[in-house]
Amino acid sequence: MAIERKEIEHIAALARLDIGDANFDHLAADMQGIVAMVDQLQKLDLGDITDQIDAERKNAFRADVVEQAFTPDTLIAPNAPDFQAGGVAVPRVVE
Amino acid sequence: MELYQKTAAELSAMLQAKEISAVELTQSLLARTDAVEDKVQGFVTVTREQALAQAAKVDEKRAAGQALSDLAGIPMAIKDNICTKGTLTTCASKMLYNFNPPYNATVVEKLAAHDVVVTGKANMDEFAMGSSCENSAMHPTHNPHDLSRVPGGSSGGSAAVVASGAVPISLGSDTGGSIRQPASFCGVVGLKPTYGAVSRYGLIAFASSLDQIGPFGRSVEDVAMLLDAITAHDPKHDSTSVQTPFEGTTRANLRADVKGMKIGLPKEYFGAGISDEVRTQVLSAADTYKSLGAEVFEISLPLVEYALPVYYILSSAEASSNLARFDGVKYGYRTPHAGDDLIALYTKSRSEGFGAEVQRRIMLGTYVLSSGYYDAYYKKARAAQRKIRQEFAAAFETCDVILTPVAPTTAYEIGSKTTNPLEMYAGDICTVSVNIAGLPGLVQPCGFDENHLPVGMQLIGPRFGEQTLLNAGLAFEQASGLKNIVAAL
Repeated sequence: MAIERKEIEHIAALARLDIGDANFDHLAADMQGIVAMVDQLQKLDLGDITDQIDAERKNAFRADVVEQAFTPDTLIAPNAPDFQAGGVAVPRVVE
Repeated sequence: MELYQKTAAELSAMLQAKEISAVELTQSLLARTDAVEDKVQGFVTVTREQALAQAAKVDEKRAAGQALSDLAGIPMAIKDNICTKGTLTTCASKMLYNFNPPYNATVVEKLAAHDVVVTGKANMDEFAMGSSCENSAMHPTHNPHDLSRVPGGSSGGSAAVVASGAVPISLGSDTGGSIRQPASFCGVVGLKPTYGAVSRYGLIAFASSLDQIGPFGRSVEDVAMLLDAITAHDPKHDSTSVQTPFEGTTRANLRADVKGMKIGLPKEYFGAGISDEVRTQVLSAADTYKSLGAEVFEISLPLVEYALPVYYILSSAEASSNLARFDGVKYGYRTPHAGDDLIALYTKSRSEGFGAEVQRRIMLGTYVLSSGYYDAYYKKARAAQRKIRQEFAAAFETCDVILTPVAPTTAYEIGSKTTNPLEMYAGDICTVSVNIAGLPGLVQPCGFDENHLPVGMQLIGPRFGEQTLLNAGLAFEQASGLKNIVAAL
């Protein structure tokens, strides 16, 4: 199925991507081609197979033991672009 | 023979016999790296001082009479999406250009316990998305056998530095063929283990249900040795990791014996789209197996027709979710152009930090998961995945291993497929099913084309069939003599 311009804009907004006018047509053309490729799947007759998880798969849980692995100072501070007063700084979100 | 031309097993024997020290070996391979890196560009980071310090420690331990692993003092490279504490781990992305992991991946911890010497982080397609290493935000890597050609991808750096002699072994990761296709293009051996055999903790996630770390080497024995070091159940950090029946034992159990082994040739993998030279070489390998006493016969795996759609839906869906964490807040690149707007901070950081291919995959993944399309794409692909798994399971009722090409062609010219993503995706046709089904796949050289470029073959095994694959690989390696191929450069 062909994707409309509005739809690509919607997907980009959901994905938090800014495509930009200069790249838009190029990306739209790529997306048309890629979606046409994955659309081939619609030809496949799955019979009675569903997407249910295979029964042999088991959830794995580790023991719930508290331990100190990292602190914000060792885990977040070294890599956060803006780390102030023990927290990650971002633009204001509340007026 | 220079040290860089030796396999890890040979170097290990020399180290144990004290014919060379780990420091001498590391210096020698760093010199080889210096000599070839300008041409190959297989590394993102070379960790020279750290490597020499690690090597000196190994020499001290050996001098003190400590019992050491066979891998102790062996230099190696690690793909740049595997976290190394204190060493930049960039995923070859502007997004993580300055990421300094606060912890080691489980595999890195395990390798440290084996006293390996890490000489650098290997280049890759950004976030492991690509098949040519051209999507690296750092620089493209060149195929050591022909510098005008790609090394394959996404673990192109890991394969190229082994083929060039900069290191004898390396680690890569494989989500849809990212170990096997570059191994094929660079004439080295690469193994994608059974899903769950190797812990993914510390592997920066692309598609978590398909990703798997695995070894590269220039011989089947070296790959077995490295596999033994990294295979382990990791209940603390990876809930998808499992106990394997071959943990730590594949090298000791190597037997070059394929007598009576049942080898299936799926006809769909040899059809249109596969170049004549690749087809001829892989079929010739099948003849070698026959002459060694294996039973070789045709089988059918018709669902390969749907492998690419299933793979690109599932992997992109997971990628769009996994890569949502890169938003300019917690780590990595933050745009200077956001002003006072948080949404603009997210959007601009992501748009400026991710390359074009990563953005395409995120867009596709978001699309197939979005309201109104989820059932038609993601849900259907998950069901198709089950059908593909069942098809392989049925095939393994009649054969022990499956032999196929790795890619439709040998290594292609740099820049020749960058304008059309679909053309690049089509090259993954022979490898993606193995990830979809969670199976192990071994790739090794089986010949050369008319341009003297390596041709690889792929052996696919049932779940936990690694030992059988390695034994079959060793039998072919010994019969063909195609082992330890170091590019001339």
